[in-house]
Amino acid sequence: MILAGTASPPPAAARSQRAARAVMTAALLLPATLFLAGWFLWPLGQLLVLSLSSPEGPTAAYRALAESEVFRSVFVNTLLLAVVVTVICTLLAYPAAWLLTRVRGFWFSVALYCVLLPFWISILVRTFSWMLLLERNGPVNNLLMAVGATHQPLRLLFNQFSVHVGMVHVLLPYAILPIYASMLKVDRRLLLASDGLGASSRTTFLRVFLPLTMPGVMAGAAFVFLLALGFFITPALLGGPQNLTAAMLIDSFVNERLVWPMAAAASFILLLMVLAVLLLTSRFVAIGSVMVMK
Amino acid sequence: MSRRSQGRPVLGEVAGGLVLAFLVMPIFAVVPASMNDASFIKIPPAVYSFRWYGQFFHDPSWISALANSVEVAVLATVFSVAIGTSAALGIERLPPATRSLAVGLVLSPLIVPVIMISISLYYVTRTIGLYGTAAGLALSHALLCLPFVVLNVGVSLKRLDPNLVRAAEGLGAGPWRVFRTVTFPAILPGLAGGATFAFVTSFDEVVISIFIAGYGAKTLPVKLWEQIRFEFTPVAAVASTVILALTMVLFVLARRAAARNAATAAAEDA
Repeated sequence: MILAGTASPPPAAARSQRAARAVMTAALLLPATLFLAGWFLWPLGQLLVLSLSSPEGPTAAYRALAESEVFRSVFVNTLLLAVVVTVICTLLAYPAAWLLTRVRGFWFSVALYCVLLPFWISILVRTFSWMLLLERNGPVNNLLMAVGATHQPLRLLFNQFSVHVGMVHVLLPYAILPIYASMLKVDRRLLLASDGLGASSRTTFLRVFLPLTMPGVMAGAAFVFLLALGFFITPALLGGPQNLTAAMLIDSFVNERLVWPMAAAASFILLLMVLAVLLLTSRFVAIGSVMVMK
Repeated sequence: MSRRSQGRPVLGEVAGGLVLAFLVMPIFAVVPASMNDASFIKIPPAVYSFRWYGQFFHDPSWISALANSVEVAVLATVFSVAIGTSAALGIERLPPATRSLAVGLVLSPLIVPVIMISISLYYVTRTIGLYGTAAGLALSHALLCLPFVVLNVGVSLKRLDPNLVRAAEGLGAGPWRVFRTVTFPAILPGLAGGATFAFVTSFDEVVISIFIAGYGAKTLPVKLWEQIRFEFTPVAAVASTVILALTMVLFVLARRAAARNAATAAAEDA
């Protein structure tokens, strides 16, 4: 009887206990909520107000961006760049993830380190490394000349090519991790069954393994695409004047042309693009799970 | 595993190995570039020398940039660990539907393009006088650090047996005592992992810093960015190698801690 009494306290006490618990939960969440409201949402709100405050009227900045051939082409280029980088990353990530599932022990650790280390290394340092490698007298050109692929150094830097190389290099790990996770989930017995029923390894791969790992491929691709849209440092350093991305355009509005409403409007257009991608791919992307793996 | 382990997969594995090599090897190009005797960059150097390291460590502007980076990263880490741990504890107590909303809000600074966050903070910090200060920069970096703290602590919290907390409460321990003696030791590994990654996130951060560091809080990545936009100097390669070395050390420490953790968890499960 005494035990029963302690297990279910009278309703009033239960209610006050629940209230105390709710207060405690709110108190724990308060600091982060205040911080995000004041240092993230409020500045973005200010930016929204700014985007609507052109001297020529509230929607003038948005109209200027939509009507100008130059600005439209920057956004189209940003999208195209993101598509190309996403396709290359996904194609390269698949065999890398496959290798991770095939090795054990020491070599597994080495392979995993190869994927995880780049997350920790500054994008700026990695981009600078590519600048040194792709230089006119850099190691890549020296190698190409040594093997006789070219007689004079190629222009590998400050063009579309170097932007692709640099962005693929930075974004590749984000594609590998989700694909690797989906490969781990594949039931090996299905592969054995396909094998046992006489399918060639090619057929087993194309008809069983690949379809089962598609969710991971989609998640990786979506993630890379999302991040590629907002890229700034890598295209700014590795690209030429003709390789303008949306982020570089926003930077030039703020720092060179000093037109804040345009910068604000352009960033909201960029944000809309990101949110559209997020909405379309929300079935595949669990961003939190990738972030934790780092 | 029968035939599959011979034919096509070998090709796949070789391709995978090449991709991993592509991923890791270029990162280290700055290291030989920094050990050059000449005053221009050459890989590999004709004559090795550490003279540019001397230059770096005797130049007050590089050293103060390094000091600023460490100061900002420490502030951002302490701040994001404090409010992030509290938030993770709160999120764990929410009903599932509200919980995913709260996690979404915490993660959103990683979704919004960083250029957008940068210009919004540039605009706001100038009006409230935090432009060009270590405090302003640390708060801004904390936006990007917070998600990692919340996620890592959250993972540890999920592993904590709720019966332990109930037992402590049943034995008469107050909330603070329960946290100190039961919850905190359990989340410590996640907290350490989150804190390490938070530190590196802030230490490496460039985009927000370019916009709001000004002259007062110029960090190592900002100074490096300003340098390499115009010319490649061996000193820039030294600065890159310093950043690389520091983050590599933290990476190795974090991986070892994670491995030790996994081993303990496995031992406890057994």
